[in-house]
This record gives sequence, structure tokens and C-alpha cells, in this order.
Amino acid sequence: MLSTLQLHLARVFLKIFLRDRQSLFFSLFFPAIFMTVFGFANNNEADSVRLAVANNAGSPVAGRFIDALESDELFDVSLGDEEKLRSGLLGGEYSLLIVLPAAFNNAAAGAELTLVVDAAQVRELGLIMPVLEQKLLAIEHELRGTTPLFTLTLEDVKARSQSYLAFLLPGLMAFTLMQLSIAGSGFNIVEYRRKGILKRLFVTPIKPSDFITAIVLARLIIVLVQLTVLLLYAVFVLNISLVGSYSAFYFIILLATLIFLCLGFCLGSIAKTQQAIMAIGNLVIFPQMFLSGVFYPIESMPALLQPLARVLPLSSVASAMREIANNGATLLEILPSLIGIAVWLILAFVLATRLFVWKEVAH
Amino acid sequence: MAIIEVDSLTKRYPLPNKKSEAFLAVNAISLRIEEGEIYGILGPNGAGKTTTLEMLEGLTDIDSGIALIDGIDVQENPYAVKQRIGVQLQANEYFDGVSLVELLTLFAALYDRHVDPLALLDRVNLRDKANAKPTQLSGGQQQRFSIACALVNDPKVLFLDEPTTGLDPQAKHNLWALIRELNNGGMTIVLTTHNMEEAETLCNRIAIMDHGSLVAEDTPQALILKHAPEPPSAPIHGDIEDVFLALTGHGLRD
Repeated sequence: MLSTLQLHLARVFLKIFLRDRQSLFFSLFFPAIFMTVFGFANNNEADSVRLAVANNAGSPVAGRFIDALESDELFDVSLGDEEKLRSGLLGGEYSLLIVLPAAFNNAAAGAELTLVVDAAQVRELGLIMPVLEQKLLAIEHELRGTTPLFTLTLEDVKARSQSYLAFLLPGLMAFTLMQLSIAGSGFNIVEYRRKGILKRLFVTPIKPSDFITAIVLARLIIVLVQLTVLLLYAVFVLNISLVGSYSAFYFIILLATLIFLCLGFCLGSIAKTQQAIMAIGNLVIFPQMFLSGVFYPIESMPALLQPLARVLPLSSVASAMREIANNGATLLEILPSLIGIAVWLILAFVLATRLFVWKEVAH
Repeated sequence: MAIIEVDSLTKRYPLPNKKSEAFLAVNAISLRIEEGEIYGILGPNGAGKTTTLEMLEGLTDIDSGIALIDGIDVQENPYAVKQRIGVQLQANEYFDGVSLVELLTLFAALYDRHVDPLALLDRVNLRDKANAKPTQLSGGQQQRFSIACALVNDPKVLFLDEPTTGLDPQAKHNLWALIRELNNGGMTIVLTTHNMEEAETLCNRIAIMDHGSLVAEDTPQALILKHAPEPPSAPIHGDIEDVFLALTGHGLRD
């Protein structure tokens, strides 16, 4: 099906890509770095509160209270002498100091605990106070031998954690493939024309279909390898699971790459200069980056923008990939997105064959 | 036997400021280039030299007229013509990060051929640069490499567009030697040039173009005898530069 000429040219395109260390670095590692940063920024486990406890009581009750605090992940407990801890608080070593009075035992009624805080840390207080009160209440119940009237139990309705990272992964993969594809056809064509390479190729017996096939083949390989690396990184390093079928996921990737390669051929045929392709390319890439639900769901956007956002090609691609990756949807279940993808594929292909005229593009 | 026959070749371009009007970039040119010739096309900037070459190479559509290369109609059968010609263009940049050997192998693949890249590099004296990238070559080396690329299909006709422009005298003489060598092997060479010495010493015949038309065509010696103004007192004849200026005038072009 593929001629040796097409394979040879595709191999040269791959070599060019692999030898361009700078863009290789950016295209291969940037999405991974991006995901890692987001992974840390959205880490659900908040930093623990550095809590100092000055135990002036020394009673079993005080000991139990300190045990309760230490067993809570929210706190990082330090014990010590009140004076020393106070200066530590001033020095910023601790966020909060609890002073247990000597009368903190089961005999006394209504012992008063003192919370010493740094005004700069006051913002956290609203979160910490209820936790402390709840701990005290628990000990009180225990000592008095009573059971609480009300308790809260947490139940996850989807029975799996849907972290932001899991939401981000398919969108980011869709965005990455769009960029790689548009750069692969559009940006490269303009560069090859500027250098006179297209003209030089044109005077050889190579057919435009050979040239296009080679670019498409090389880019498909680049995109598939790149996205697989990203996916492996997400699954094995960031512990994000892909719920749905891998073959359906890769099927969407394949179609999407073809859409954006065709769009790239259109842009590369229209734009005559490097500046023009940068401008037109950004005009296509940027709105999709923000409107296509890559970083946040389309549903969270202003109602007026939503219909526009949904017709963008990247929206169909990102939502199809996300449905498969996060919710395990089958191809049949994502039919609306599939229709969107099919329409864009046909549209982009027809436009590309109209606009990419070998002789005109070469000049 | 003529290997290139051109009859009334014409190319119109729309004027840059008035799209409705066209100017004649090439105006009904007729040429016969014999097999084994080194044929030079001279002319001021904008005379239509490159457009003429590009029409012969199939790069630019022919508006009217006929061009035959090795008996094949350029318009009717462009792919058969491309198999028989080698082309060196004015711009000769190549893919980034690909070595000379890899580029030659690629160009051969475009003709569905296998070549020995090192043997080709030997012919243009670049074997020691086999693994270099084109951007690492000097101007003269780049031109020689472009010629090597144009030789992968063992062409009958080699088109060179201003091959020595921008080269120092050493590189220029080196390139002329290469062109003569190729010509001695039987290859027909068609080149455009601004260099009068090149036209006079290298070319068997030259054509002078101006404003899209052919104003003279003959051997350098015949043209000098016919057109160079004879100095009234001195017995010395003029040179091709005198011929060129006498035919195209002294006015500056872009």
C-alpha cells in the first residue's frame, strides 16, 4: 500500500523531528511537566498544620487528647515547654500553639484551653477550630460514657476518586495532538516553502500524494509515540487510571490526528510567510485551548459561549477521549462526539485537497 | 540534434498594483539548444530568465507556446521530463539536520533509484563532508552539493540558475571546472548568469534577454563581432559586457 518512496520520505521527516532536540524537548516533555505541576498544585492532601502543644496538665486526659491530635493527618504535632514553643511560634516554626491548663483533667468542669496564633496564620483558623472542638467533644463523650447523637459518614457516589488530574489527562492529550499535528503539516510546509525545499521537490518526479502521505505517516507515528509516553507517565507515575478501552481511545486519537493534519495543510497552503502561519495558527489553536474543555468543563463556561465551544473540533475530540478515559464510555455511547469528529474530518479533508495545490504551494 | 526546442513560449503575470492588467514576463521566446551544449541565458534582473527556466522545468505553467525536452512536451508529460532533467535552483536550502549522504539517498529515492552517495560526492569533490549538514557548507560547497543533488537521476539536461552568484573567484573557477567536466561527459547544460566572464568563457552559445524578449542569440565570439562597439583607434575588440550593455542599455534595474 505504501511505496518505498513514501516510507523513505517519512523516515527522513522522522529523523528531522528526532534531531531537532529543542522542539523534541518541548513537545515531548512539556505536557509531562505540565501534568506533574498540576498534579502537585491540585494535590488533595493539604499541607499539615504545624501544631505546638504545651502540656501543663500531665493528666491521662491530656495524654489522650495529644494522642488524638497526633493521629490526625491534618496536624504535625510538636510538644514542649510553653515559653520555648511561644518563641517558636513567633519565629514561624509553628502555625498554632495550644496551651493545656493544669486543670485539664476529668475532675475539673470546664477547663479552658488557650489557642495562641500568629495573626498571619489566622486564615487557617476557621478550618482548625472545628476539628479541635470535635476532638475535645469525642474525648468528652468517651469520658462521660455517652454516645454522640449524630454522626457523619462520607460516601463517594462514583466510588472512585475523580481528581482534577484525571480530568486533565485526556484534554491535555487532545491538545498536544492538535499542536503536534498542526505544526507537522502547517508550520513545516511554510518552512519548507520559505527554504525553497518544496520547489526543489517539485522538480523531481515525486507526486503530491507521496509528499502528503509521508508527512501524515511521520506525524501519526510521532503523535502516537508522544501520547503513549504521556499516557504511560500518567498511569504509572501519576497513578491515573484509564477506565475505558484503550483501542477506542487510540481510535479517537487516530481520527483526531488526521483532522488536525488536514487543517494544518489548509493553514500551510493559505499562509505564505512564517509570520502569517504563526498568526493564523494561533488563531486556530488558542480559542480551542480555552474553549474546548481542555482545562475545565465546557459546562462551567458562560452559557452564551457554550454552543460555540461545542462546535470546535477539539471539543468533540477532548470530550470523546475524556468520556472513554474517565467514564469508560464505549464508542456507541459517545456518538454525538463521534459525529462531530466525522464531520470535521470530512470538512478538513475536502478543504485540504482544495487548498493544497502542489504547484502553487511550492512557489 | 536539438535536445530542447522552445517555440513562442509566453508567460503573463498580473501587475502587482493593477491586478486586471498583465505584463509579459516572457514574450514569445523561441530557442533551440543542441545536445552537449553549454547554453547561457543572460539578462538584467526581471528580464525573464528564471521564469523561462521554470517553465522548462515544469515549475511554472506555460501560458502559450510549446517546450520540448528530449522530444517530450513539458506541459503534456511533465513527469517524463522531470525524470530526464536535473535542476539547481537559486535557493538551495535543504531539510535541517539531514546529512549530505542522507539527502542524496533521499533525492535518489524520489527518482526511484539507488545511488552511491559517496561516488556522487566524489564527483563534486565533497567526500570529506559526507556527514556534514548543508548549513555547515561554504557558499561554493553548497552550490557543488546542489549540483550533486541534481545529478542523482543521471540527467540529460542540467539546469543551473545563477550557479556562481555570490561565490569568490576560487569557488567560481572550481565550479566552472565541474560544469565543463559534466559537459565533457555529454550532459547538456543550460544556465542563467549575470557573470559576463562566465558567459564568454564557459558557454558555447548565449542568449540575451531583456523585458521578457530574446534580443540576441549566438556564440560569444559572433556576438562580440556583431554588437560590441569597435573602438575607433584601438585594434582591440570589446567584450561580452560591452555587448550586454549595448543591447540592454545602461539604465539601472531594481
